[in-house]
Amino acid sequence: MNVLPPWQWPRAAYIHIPFCAHHCGYCDFAIAVGQDEQIDAYLDALALELQTLGTPQAVRSIFLGGGTPSHLNCAQLERLLVLVRRWLLLEAQGEFSIEVNPDSMDEAKVKVLADHGITRVSLGAQSFHPHLLQVLERLHGPDQVARAVEWVRQRIVNLSVDLIFGAPGQTVADWKSDLDRVLALEPTHLSTYGLTYEKGTPLWKQRERGLLVALDEESEWQLYREAIDILEEAGFEHYEISNFARAGYRSVHNQVYWANEAYFGFGMGAARYVLGRRETNTRDLRTYLRKILAGESAIFQSEELGEEERARETLAIQLRRAEGIARCRFRLQTGRELDELAGEAIRRQVELGLLRDEGETVALTRSGKYVADAVIERLL
Amino acid sequence: MSDPRFIRNFSIIAHIDHGKSTLADQLLLRTGAISQRDFRNQVLDDMDLERERGITIQMHPVTVYHTYQGQKYELNLIDTPGHVDFNYEVSRSLAACEGAILLVDAFQGVQAQTVANAYLAIEHDLTIVPVLNKIDMPIARPDAVIAEMEQAVGVKPEEVLRASAKTGLGIDEVLAAIIERIPPPKGQPEAAVQALVYNSHFDTYKGVVVYIRVMQGTLRKGQRIKLMRGNTEHEITEMGQFRPTPTGCDSLSAGQVGYFTAQIKNLSDVHIGDTVTDALHPTDTALPGYKEPKPMVFSGLYPVNNNDFEELREALAKLRLNDSSFTYQPEVSEGLGFGFRCGFLGMLHREIIQQRLERDSELDLVQTAPNVTYEILSRKGEILEIDSPQKVPDAGQIEEFREPFVRINFLLPAENIGDLMQMCSERRGVYVRTEYLSPTRAILVYEMPLAEVIYDLYDKLKSVTHGYGTMDYDFLGYRAADLVRLDVLVHHKRVDALSTIVHRATADRRGRKLLKKLREEIDRHLFEVVLQAAVGSRIIARESIAPMKKNVTAKCYGGDITRKRKLWAKQAEGKKRMKQIGQVDIPQEAFLAVLESDQ
Repeated sequence: MNVLPPWQWPRAAYIHIPFCAHHCGYCDFAIAVGQDEQIDAYLDALALELQTLGTPQAVRSIFLGGGTPSHLNCAQLERLLVLVRRWLLLEAQGEFSIEVNPDSMDEAKVKVLADHGITRVSLGAQSFHPHLLQVLERLHGPDQVARAVEWVRQRIVNLSVDLIFGAPGQTVADWKSDLDRVLALEPTHLSTYGLTYEKGTPLWKQRERGLLVALDEESEWQLYREAIDILEEAGFEHYEISNFARAGYRSVHNQVYWANEAYFGFGMGAARYVLGRRETNTRDLRTYLRKILAGESAIFQSEELGEEERARETLAIQLRRAEGIARCRFRLQTGRELDELAGEAIRRQVELGLLRDEGETVALTRSGKYVADAVIERLL
Repeated sequence: MSDPRFIRNFSIIAHIDHGKSTLADQLLLRTGAISQRDFRNQVLDDMDLERERGITIQMHPVTVYHTYQGQKYELNLIDTPGHVDFNYEVSRSLAACEGAILLVDAFQGVQAQTVANAYLAIEHDLTIVPVLNKIDMPIARPDAVIAEMEQAVGVKPEEVLRASAKTGLGIDEVLAAIIERIPPPKGQPEAAVQALVYNSHFDTYKGVVVYIRVMQGTLRKGQRIKLMRGNTEHEITEMGQFRPTPTGCDSLSAGQVGYFTAQIKNLSDVHIGDTVTDALHPTDTALPGYKEPKPMVFSGLYPVNNNDFEELREALAKLRLNDSSFTYQPEVSEGLGFGFRCGFLGMLHREIIQQRLERDSELDLVQTAPNVTYEILSRKGEILEIDSPQKVPDAGQIEEFREPFVRINFLLPAENIGDLMQMCSERRGVYVRTEYLSPTRAILVYEMPLAEVIYDLYDKLKSVTHGYGTMDYDFLGYRAADLVRLDVLVHHKRVDALSTIVHRATADRRGRKLLKKLREEIDRHLFEVVLQAAVGSRIIARESIAPMKKNVTAKCYGGDITRKRKLWAKQAEGKKRMKQIGQVDIPQEAFLAVLESDQ
């Protein structure tokens, strides 16, 4: 199967671990809180789901996301890692990432991770300000972040830290000090996520009820601009809308997504994109366990895009990258000419200074990045 | 053949909500034409929209029989619309009657519409039977309202009947008064046939159904008839009366009201106000008929999607089948593409047509702000009729710009007179007089440009008088005024559909106001959007919409991609509902921004 190109057949896999100690205010991912007694059954189910691969697959990237993978205890973590590696064979120089929370880490867990081949840790710090962590309903305090980093660093070099900006009440000064503190930890990679009020989340409900006031567009823009300025100044490459990396430390896994390439997905709520078909597993833990343990599929939604739709989706996603869209590669991947799809709109956005067209590639300019969604919308 | 001595033809005239439909139903109930179960279903209003709004637009006659002092009488109730926009239709109804019940709410008292319709009835020489309705309400103030009726329309207090259409109280007295006070029709069943066509509607199976009031002679089923205006001959295939459901009969004679069909295929072959006569023994003289109603208010209707043009044309044609007072003709706008300029009797009529269009078709429509019909005397001495701001010629070609004036009667609480007078003078009104109906209620009369009336006057009146004021107006004629076309430029491009005709003195204020409103309606774009208002080449106001600052979502990974794509699709759908002019997306609502009121 590996003769197929990477946008057809996956070279990456995502494994979802839904368990969390607590539901953070902004989170709308598929999670399971207070159901730790199901973890072992969940690992059983994952084993069965991985088995559907038939034969072990060689991949360049494995990503353990959540939920909170680090919420598992050492024994469970070990079982998970062994299981995953049985079915997914990491190529040399491959990336094996795990998401962790500062409050669920300890030295023993780091050792388990390192011993079982984890090469990259992504730490959800979100903020260094107690009042903002409280607004976001995170359980950890700023000190726990530093301690977690210290433990990770003893064994694993490649460390990414997540930050959220745009929380209600956040000032530019708050944000700058967050950036300063995160830089002091010397991560190899940073993700800065602008807070979004996803429908149904606790934070969204509070905003609906008027219990909190979202930041205005101008302030959000200032924070975003500060992040890019400060991090680029510190030597990070702003390689995707929300992602920054030191040279050589771009996330392999992220880049699969942003190239609109194929990936496997396992676990509750996990998405996969295999042979042009997008599928998502059920977001309900009990349903997931019941189906998988009964040897059935846990897919609850599935779609196969037409050629044009797939090309437009590729356009929209690739444009988020610093390198933008390469016309030749785009044609190869989608079977469509970029300019036939959006030539006129691209010219218009170039005139407005939001895109730059360098002949072979088209990419967002700095001002274009601020309004990327609107620019992309015009190209669809 | 019926003896005209035992026929009575009458209408009920009343202000909206004063209980006209309930009274009509009560009369039907009392005379056995409907059952208790049907009562309150407001039999007369058979269009949904009319029922929703509690108004009657199309006239629908009903024939009932009532035995009074041992004699059976045929009573024909001809309904009338209750809104100023449909005054013309009221006249049509009244021309088919000898009398009218003037119905007034015993609490709300005399309203502008009451006065207007009462005068219409008096002009038609109808006998008026004044009835005070809702007399059973605890808050009724019968003596005060009777005094208002005497003061406003000169009814004699002792002639006023007291009734409750809801409970049936006093209905027998109303029936008695109809028979005793309203004169029987004058015609002779043996005379040469003269029947007045006072309405018609189109039936898919039967063709045109012609509503008539026989003035002279007798019409029979199978008779060869002639429509005098077009000089066309037809054979009556079916005739009858509404009792209230269509009930066939073999003849209709002088004084009677009913309908016939004659396999007429086109509604346009039947002229309202025409005279029907016998083809072999025609009458010498046609009835005076009616003046065609002239649309007073125009606005553009455009499909958001230009491909829907033909579909819109079909929808309009269908509407016009049963509403000849509504007109439309194709027009082209630079900004909006192909559409239609539609003419309406007034603002309510316009609103009703628009709602019907939306209800009956799936079209997304852009409607431009309404304007009245102007007249321009050109330098060459021609008179141009201007029903759209786009048709205004260059200032150099205009000798005189004229606008329609109306006389407007406000009936309102005396304490609000000051506020209203100020409002009218701001709208270029010319004071005529004030009449007091009582120490607390007055009629205020102004002459005013119709354009100012349709702009926002009704809403303002309601707010100034806390809902207690009513108004009614009639057309006076055209008067010269210093008018200009106010243009709007969106991103340096003139959007013709946003142009309006305004008085020069108010142009600056209107221009600024309009741009402020547009600024709220148009979303931020990826670039600064400049809005300008101009009279000729002079820019009189400017606003700008700052470009979007930040619009980017952070995450988009894994399963999010499907969700993300759905979001894009939804946004694109929203965009489709907007008109793109130049590079600017203008929402439908923006085209009505011109209408927004001043405060």
